[in-house]
Amino acid sequence: MIRIRGVTKDYDRRQILRGLDLSVDAGEMVFLTGPSGAGKTTLLRLLYAAEKPTSGEIWLAGDRVDTMHRSGLPKLRRKIGVIFQDFKLLRRKTVLENVTFVLRFHGIAPREANRRAYKVLKRLGLHHRQGALPESLSGGEQQRVAIARALVYQPRLILADEPTGNLDADLASELLSLLCDINYQGATVVVATHDHALLESLPARTLVLRRGVIDYDGRWPP
Amino acid sequence: MMRHALAEGWLLLRSRGLISPILALSLAIPISLAGVTISIRQWLEPVIDLGDREGVVAILLHPRLDEADRQSWIDEQTRKHSEWRLVEVEPEELAVRMSTWFPYLEELLEREGPEMLPPMVEIRTRTPESVLDLRNDNSVLAVGPTSSINQVVGRVAGRFATVLFTVAGLLMAGAILFAGVWVHLELHRNAEEIAIMRLMGATESTVRGPFLVAVAAPALLAAAASIVITVVAVGWISRLAAPLGLATSGPMLLLLAAQVCCAIVLPLAAAVITLERHAATEE
Repeated sequence: MIRIRGVTKDYDRRQILRGLDLSVDAGEMVFLTGPSGAGKTTLLRLLYAAEKPTSGEIWLAGDRVDTMHRSGLPKLRRKIGVIFQDFKLLRRKTVLENVTFVLRFHGIAPREANRRAYKVLKRLGLHHRQGALPESLSGGEQQRVAIARALVYQPRLILADEPTGNLDADLASELLSLLCDINYQGATVVVATHDHALLESLPARTLVLRRGVIDYDGRWPP
Repeated sequence: MMRHALAEGWLLLRSRGLISPILALSLAIPISLAGVTISIRQWLEPVIDLGDREGVVAILLHPRLDEADRQSWIDEQTRKHSEWRLVEVEPEELAVRMSTWFPYLEELLEREGPEMLPPMVEIRTRTPESVLDLRNDNSVLAVGPTSSINQVVGRVAGRFATVLFTVAGLLMAGAILFAGVWVHLELHRNAEEIAIMRLMGATESTVRGPFLVAVAAPALLAAAASIVITVVAVGWISRLAAPLGLATSGPMLLLLAAQVCCAIVLPLAAAVITLERHAATEE
């Protein structure tokens, strides 16, 4: 599903990723951890083509991402569900609209989109707030909306950047079970996290990123 | 996708209340001005030479001048007045003209032949008055009307039309720029949402749709307004011009169609260019 070869990423002459090689098979669940500034978020941004690497190759589901023309990006991104660290919710849309608008890009009819969105929101305990605007929600609720939006169209690849950062233990556990369900259904899941409890809760492959290189690749704890 | 573009475009329009009517008006005014100017030009063209062309003065030479004398006289006048262009009218051609102007001469001309007519020379000049001096020339039998009023009126009307077209063009350029700048500002205002939509897999058409709808709506309004303004203004001016004996008419359908095209296509083109530049910058 993901193939990365010799990827480096520089910001103002500061090297964030240094010749990174990585391979994630379809249907795998991978945790990405490491100290702040190790390059976890940068790696995810490269995967969903928000940025281009300084050098190296990135392949996603058979498509080369790093050289992809912008006309090809929407199709690529529709295969990926991204849970952003900063939520990236549409401020002027309600919770329901924030979740359903991505379904529109998949050509799903409004009624069906509403049904699917409600189902995911209910699972995340947010169905009673479907008419609220993001600014009226707590951090945890906003994070759950972002999660619902990423999961609602059942993508083949889910990239989650600190998805439990604003959630309490129960909700974090519920999210993990949700991600596991999706993973069992065949989706590849990559979760960037600081949360050691989350890493310990699931015996999944864990990549430790340190100073732009993969320092450890195996089960947690190292 | 269309439903999304219409809904979001409507929201965009509603949130920027006065922009749409101002944009529609700023498009309609120059388009109507150009339409009215073109209509009036059409009325004037058959009666006034709107170009900066020369006037034509016809003179009749004395019948005693033979062909060599006439050529020598024409050469002499050409030397004296470098800005005149003298052309002798063929007798047959002159006979045709005389028969047209004075039908009762037709029979006489048929009987006697065109040779009975005195030779005519046409002088093309920007200053028809300067030909008046030829009245004292012994070789000249008669000098036709030498007033340059037609040229002067035509020149003034022509230049006035040019000024109006220029003003309309400048206003139109301003209105198109306005449409482009508005889209540019809205793109900046909604930059965060657009970035999120792109990250979620929105295609360029999904991102652009609402902006195009938001420009198309005032453009359609401008098209309708410019047709109404042109028809009303042309009708009103034609009533004013009726005593002058001008054969006035309403604006041509082709002109109205061109106005609709300008009102819709130009601001949309400005919006598309702005959106394209924005997408390229985002990349």
